[in-house]
Amino acid sequence: MEPIRKEELDDQACGSMAPKSKPCPRPKPGEAAGGCSFDGAQITLLPIMDAAHLVHGPVACAGNSWESRGSLSSGPSLSQYGFATDLGNNDIIFGGEKKLRDSIDYIAGRFTPPAIFVYSTCVTALIGEDMDAVCKEASDRLGIPIVPVNSPGFVGSKNLGNRLAGDALLQYVIGTGEPEQETPLGVNLIGEYNIAGEMWDIEKLMNQAGITLLSRITGDARYKEITWAHRAKANMVVCSRALLGLAKQMESKYGIPYFEGSFYGAKETTYSLRQMAFLLNDREMERRVDRLTEREENRLAHDLRPYRKILKGKKAVLYTGGVKSWSVISALKELGIQVVGVGTNKSSDEDVQRIADRVGDDTEYIPEGGASRIIKTVRERKADIMIAGGRNMYVAMKEQIPFVDINQERHKAYAGYEGLLRLAKELVDSMVNPIWKLASSPAPWDKEGSYDR
Amino acid sequence: MTVKRRSKPVSVNPLKIGQSLGGVLAMQGCYRAMPIVHGSQGCSAFPKALLTRHFREPIAVQTSALQEMDVIFDANRNLEEALNAVLSKHRPDIIGIIGTELTDVAGVDYQSMLKSYKRERNMRGGLAFSVTLPDFRGSLESGFSVTVEAMVDELIQQAGLRGQRNVNSRQITLLPGSYLTPGDVMELKEIVSSFGFEVIALPDISTSLSGHLLTGFSPLTRGGVPLDSMLQSLQSGLTIAFGASMERPARRLHNALGTPYKVFQGTMGLKASDELLNFLHQISGVPVPIRYCWQRENLLDCMLDAHFQFAGVSALAALEPDHLRSVSEWLEELGVEQKALVASCETPAVAEMEREVWVGDLDDAEVLGSGADLWISSSHGIAGAERIGAAFLPAGFPIWDELGSYMNVSVGYRGAMEWTNKAGNLLMRREAEHRESRVRHR
Ligand code: SF4
Repeated sequence: MEPIRKEELDDQACGSMAPKSKPCPRPKPGEAAGGCSFDGAQITLLPIMDAAHLVHGPVACAGNSWESRGSLSSGPSLSQYGFATDLGNNDIIFGGEKKLRDSIDYIAGRFTPPAIFVYSTCVTALIGEDMDAVCKEASDRLGIPIVPVNSPGFVGSKNLGNRLAGDALLQYVIGTGEPEQETPLGVNLIGEYNIAGEMWDIEKLMNQAGITLLSRITGDARYKEITWAHRAKANMVVCSRALLGLAKQMESKYGIPYFEGSFYGAKETTYSLRQMAFLLNDREMERRVDRLTEREENRLAHDLRPYRKILKGKKAVLYTGGVKSWSVISALKELGIQVVGVGTNKSSDEDVQRIADRVGDDTEYIPEGGASRIIKTVRERKADIMIAGGRNMYVAMKEQIPFVDINQERHKAYAGYEGLLRLAKELVDSMVNPIWKLASSPAPWDKEGSYDR
Repeated sequence: MTVKRRSKPVSVNPLKIGQSLGGVLAMQGCYRAMPIVHGSQGCSAFPKALLTRHFREPIAVQTSALQEMDVIFDANRNLEEALNAVLSKHRPDIIGIIGTELTDVAGVDYQSMLKSYKRERNMRGGLAFSVTLPDFRGSLESGFSVTVEAMVDELIQQAGLRGQRNVNSRQITLLPGSYLTPGDVMELKEIVSSFGFEVIALPDISTSLSGHLLTGFSPLTRGGVPLDSMLQSLQSGLTIAFGASMERPARRLHNALGTPYKVFQGTMGLKASDELLNFLHQISGVPVPIRYCWQRENLLDCMLDAHFQFAGVSALAALEPDHLRSVSEWLEELGVEQKALVASCETPAVAEMEREVWVGDLDDAEVLGSGADLWISSSHGIAGAERIGAAFLPAGFPIWDELGSYMNVSVGYRGAMEWTNKAGNLLMRREAEHRESRVRHR
């Protein structure tokens, strides 16, 4: 059997195309957490809301993962359907290609999606299904794009899956369509998935500045808009190194300049908007952005005052699974919170450098995913709150540590100026909740001297 | 009745949950346990995330973290590494190795690997066993029961007490099926013990996934039945299994130790509760405790009050096989028309049902049940229920749109009452909304 990825790609498997980047460490059996590449590919592509997403494999890969993310849609919801070829014993023995073909036909006939993404999984990769050929044949026959996503779980980490999904977009989608009208000031957002509706806050800001959001890659996206992403004047990679490769290739292929930025925190938001204006190379635009960001920052500073009073000097441990760490640190710093511990398990060298630029010397780096390690840091550094993904939420609850969810499953949008205010409120609400006192006080009969001897 | 399937090449909105998740769930009911999913990272990360979301508890599970080349060349090297890491870091009492479709298709022989590992490490005292749970067969339910069966097998092996055991006739082993919530298991334990029996539930999620702060966080399970109780359960005078899928582990105990067993296929509603209590009354000679007599009265009265709500109403249920059967019996008692019954997979128990059962997905439920007033399924059904305009009653796995659903009780008179009221309230609210939309504003 041919390996799915060629060797030379493997040493850059962590998502960065930069040659300096260290390879992703092999996950340690018995100590590993985190999702598979298939998971990563879905994270990147599922927010394409009007497309159908078909998982080719036994049912569990789809059955255990559909409807698990907080990526919101402003309209179509086909991507929230769980489609699976649901291979059985016989399909594994005799091959599942026919079932795949029939499935594609069925979906195309019944739901008439603008496109179908087909995901391979470990088993279909292992038994050597020729998914690309089936997709191509069906695509030609049905006249709609059927995009194979070759990212079975066992090729590597979630990050690699993000990247492979980006490759699929580049190979099959971007550049295949044209925008309805010329947009001189169009920008693409890459790696922003509209978790809890964050994209909408960002889009509002961009619109206020007069910047057109040309293609959402992929938060709340429609398939069509991604086909014309190559007509953008600039790309912004939203704190996700995994899709940096996509931006780089769009630069070399279509000459679109890109930058990496974030919308967590007022400073980062302002920087990102400015950077967009700069890359669009429009003086008037730059002035407009300056006025907008100044106004928004002032208003935010005013609104934040009561929260900052409470948050000032508080300590937090941040564990976001790596890629987002540095940008969230900036947001927390603006609120007066000191980050005393930060996860770096999936961060590339550049990410770690960015983290280092933003935190003090005595911040502890938590390289590995063990929940015990995070708790230990919280205890030793006397942190007031833990900020992490849903996976660790109930770990924190068991240890009675205030917690704010920062990852994909959450329901609150923290991007932009409005988002920072929401984050501040969330942090305060979590920390001042009466439950912490109640939970740590013993039952009356367990108190010393509560009965006469 | 025969089981039917709609002909459709693709699963749309799957109802089926992978077997391996059932295995991981069963392991949560054992104290200081660690399941190791022998597969790629995602095969343990997805179940972990989903179980966490449903129970709102940390879930103990590890992975052998197979990557492409490991699968092709030597998957068991990873398993050995995983075992080493788990044993040295956490010292669990119980380890369950759960083989996946990946190890199945690749033909990995981890069973003998585990055997020699145990021999080499001189692993005594703890319990380590393996199961094969590929996701292209069965569902959550079968994964759960197969794991319990393997657990029981290993216990019998370890105790090595063929023929010469001290039977404790006052002790009963409970085998609660996968569809029972921690609240259900707790209730069943209480009911049985109220007749003077000592009860050991195997596994016992009522003390591990019901939520408690006693031990803080641990990477291992923080509650459940401890290993010494598990071994002690082999002395039980009787096994009671809830759910047809649990008959196999019960039969294991019977075959190896001669322990008689009783299976309750239905656990919901008046008749099912009557049957259970009467059985316990008969075998113990103890009168039915007064609180259950009261609860029976409460239930009957509640059913009378609610029958206005249920008259002329239709429902659909899409659940795991045993659960479906149980829920269907309850619906029967309420006089609700059963528009569609959809099971995640086919089992003898659903094939035996008197009503027509479909094996399929939530899309089938939507099509077959169109026009139903009440939709009973996991949270995955919310959107479908909305599309057909049915009131949505969350049940089964996973449920994420409701707090504390893991503590819901469906068994016994109390459970039937809770469910009847909950469903009735949903229908009442739906009716009110309909009325409101018909009010004309001037
Ligand atoms: S690791 Fe492979 S088999 Fe497991 S969930 Fe991911 S894609 Fe599916």
